[in-house]
Parts: sequence; C-alpha cells; structure tokens
Amino acid sequence: MHIMEGYLPLEWCIIWFVISFIVVAYGVYQIKKIVDETPESKALLAVSGAFMFVLSSLKLPSVTGSCSHPCGNGLGAALFGPAVTAVLATIVLLFQAILLAHGGLTTLGANIFSMGIIGPVVAWAVYKALIKANMSSTVAVFFAAFLGDLLTYVATSFQLALAFPAPSFGSALSKFLVIFAVTQVPLAIGEGILTVIIWDRLKEYKPKLLDKLGVLAPKEA
Amino acid sequence: MKFDMDYIAHNNALTETNPYFKLFLTIILLVVTLALDNLYFDVIVFIIMSIVILAIAKIAFKSYLKFLSIPMAFLIITCIFLIFFFGSGEVIYDTKILGIVVTKNSLHYGVYTFMRVMGCLPCLGFLALTTPIAKILHCLATLKVPKIIIEIGLLMYNSIFIFLNEIDTMQKAQQTRLGYHSYTTSFKSLGGLASTIFLRSLDKSETLQHSLDSRGYDGELPVYEPKNRSN
Repeated sequence: MHIMEGYLPLEWCIIWFVISFIVVAYGVYQIKKIVDETPESKALLAVSGAFMFVLSSLKLPSVTGSCSHPCGNGLGAALFGPAVTAVLATIVLLFQAILLAHGGLTTLGANIFSMGIIGPVVAWAVYKALIKANMSSTVAVFFAAFLGDLLTYVATSFQLALAFPAPSFGSALSKFLVIFAVTQVPLAIGEGILTVIIWDRLKEYKPKLLDKLGVLAPKEA
Repeated sequence: MKFDMDYIAHNNALTETNPYFKLFLTIILLVVTLALDNLYFDVIVFIIMSIVILAIAKIAFKSYLKFLSIPMAFLIITCIFLIFFFGSGEVIYDTKILGIVVTKNSLHYGVYTFMRVMGCLPCLGFLALTTPIAKILHCLATLKVPKIIIEIGLLMYNSIFIFLNEIDTMQKAQQTRLGYHSYTTSFKSLGGLASTIFLRSLDKSETLQHSLDSRGYDGELPVYEPKNRSN
C-alpha cells in the first residue's frame, strides 16, 4: 500500500525524507563496498531490483477480493540484507511513481521508510533469528516474508496516524491499524506462501548460489 | 498495457523539452501546493496542469483519465473514511448509525486531503507523462545523486521490459493450461512464474555483465545528449 502523492502534509514529507535519507545513504555506502570488491555484482543488483519491480506488477490472488501484489521485500532482505534492499527499494519506488503512478514523489520518503526500511529490516531480523534457532530456511523465509509484509502496513498506519492525529494519535492509530494491518493479514499470508514456493524452487535449482550468499541454515548447507 | 505511461513519455509534444525545467517545475509546484495547503490554489494547480498536460503536451484525454483513475479509487475511499471516522468537536451531521458522525474537524481533514491530492496528482502526471525515465536519471546524475544509484537504475530500467515480455509469455502459457483456474493452482503458477523469472534474471545478469565488459564498461554509461535546436 503506497501512500499517494500529496496525501501527507509537508512537514511529515520532510521528516520521512530525512530519516530515509540516512538509511539509504548507509545502504549506498554498503553497495559501493560490495561493487568495489566484486565489480560483477552490479549487474546482479540491478537485475534483482528489476525483479522486485516486476514482482510488484504481478497480481496476487486474494481471499478478501481486494487485489494486491507481492512486495518481494522479504525475499530481497533474506538474500541481500536490509541495507542493500533499502537502496533497491528506493529505485523501485521511484520507478513505480513515474511508470505506474503508484505512490508519489513527495511521499517517496515515507514510502521508502515503510516499504524499504521497516519491512526488510523486520524480514531480515526474523529470518536470521529463526535460522539461529535451528529452523529450516523454508519456515524462516515464510515468517520473514509474512512479518515483513505485515510490519510494512503497521508502519504505514503509524505514518498516517502521525499525520492525521484526530482526535488523538492513539485512536487514529487503532483505526488505521484496523483498516490497513488487519485487512492485510490474509495478503501477508499469501505473500509468505508465494515466497516459500519461490524459495523451494531456488533451493532445488541453485543450492550453490544460496550457499555462496550464506543464507541457508547450517544443516542445509 | 500497463506500461502505457512509458510509451506516452517517449511520444508527446514535450518529450524533448529541457528535463531540468520539467523536473524543477514539478518539484516546486508540489512543495508549494503542500506548503500552502489552500483549497483555491489546489484547484488552480489542478486546472493549469491539466491544461498543460492535455493541450501543450498533447496527451490523449483517455490516457490522462487512466492515469488519474489509478490513485483516485483509493483516494475517495480514504477520504470518506477520514470524514466519517476521524475527528472531534462540533458535530455537523449525525448519520444515526452506530454513533457515526461528521464533525467540523473531520470534514476539514477529508476535504483538505482530497483537494491536496487532486492538486498534486497532475504535477506528478506532468513529469511522469512527459519525461522518459532515462532523462530523469540523467538529470539526477548531474545533480550529484551517487553514480552507483543511477547506473543500477539504468540497468534496472532496461531489464524490467525484458522481464515483462517474458512474464507475458509465461503467463499466457500457464493460462492456456488452466494454471489460474482455482485458488491453489494460481498460487502454484504464480510461485513457479516468479521463481523462474528469478532464475532467468540471474542468467541475464551474467549475460549483461559480459556484454558490458566486452564493450569496455568501466562503471559509466555515457549517453548522447542531442542539442536542442530550438534553444
């Protein structure tokens, strides 16, 4: 769910831009380091970004009737880590605003924060924690995608409640949570299942690649 | 097709206009619209930018409507929601259902948000419908956005269209085999589609890297900038 152009008042646009800028700048620094070490990885990053964009143009079958699309953030975060995913998500969101009229330029900062930072960070943390707890990577990737997706919407609710604190921040937050987060639970489960299907295929066909990225559970490697 | 906007951006009367001008005009208008938060100004911006898009850039009315309709449904729902469920203070209208009321505050929120978005959408539309992405990225590069972002962006932009073609082919193949017949098969097909695209994308990235290397790629893609004769 992208916050659309002009939806947020100016002060919130600026605040989210500043917060996102710091994280994305760190991500750029990380990417620069990776590219300096292995120059071939630039093409891989670009193509992964394109994959994220294309994934978001697919329609996810949804139980509730509303249509939604997978974000691919969970997958990206599990594979590349949150800092790199934040940069890729920034470019993807810019493209979505200009090519598809999803989201907007003034709300870009807010959207980067919820979709490019909170979602991937949560997904990555969940994934790493479950792998450490000796779960199989399939289970871990499901919860990473599911919680990453859900927390993205929770973050969006927070942003909207902060911008529209009527009558108070708390009651606005609970209303936005009911609308955005609760209705998104089935969609988040859908995204989790889809990510698991993708993950299983990857494990089957390219186990060496996943091993090289160091993302598999120790016993599976 | 969903990529109408990219085609339009390459084929309209303002494609060759200075992209810096278009970029700055859009950003300044957006910021001013947000900062003023004035209903009259929103309407004026909406009307002027719509005229610019339709009459000067000569973009078909249907395409422009399509562009507006994408966010419009969501906008209307959220604004109705703002009007009926948010707010405190003086009650103006009581629906008498479950104590849902419209208050002065909530009406203010709903109307101002609606008009603000209406003012901002044509500004975004002006940039999105008249300027190709490659030009925007080139502008950003000269404005000191890190080179690595621009490069990844450009390579990404190229790959997106290749993937979309492949997805189209695959989806049609799956559909003819009843791949989207029921809920479970849809998930299976979609999962298969996405993972195949990911595996393809890995191969593609290798090919892309080889082709870049073989043409002497050293971290920069020089772009030919045609001189605009009218300037």
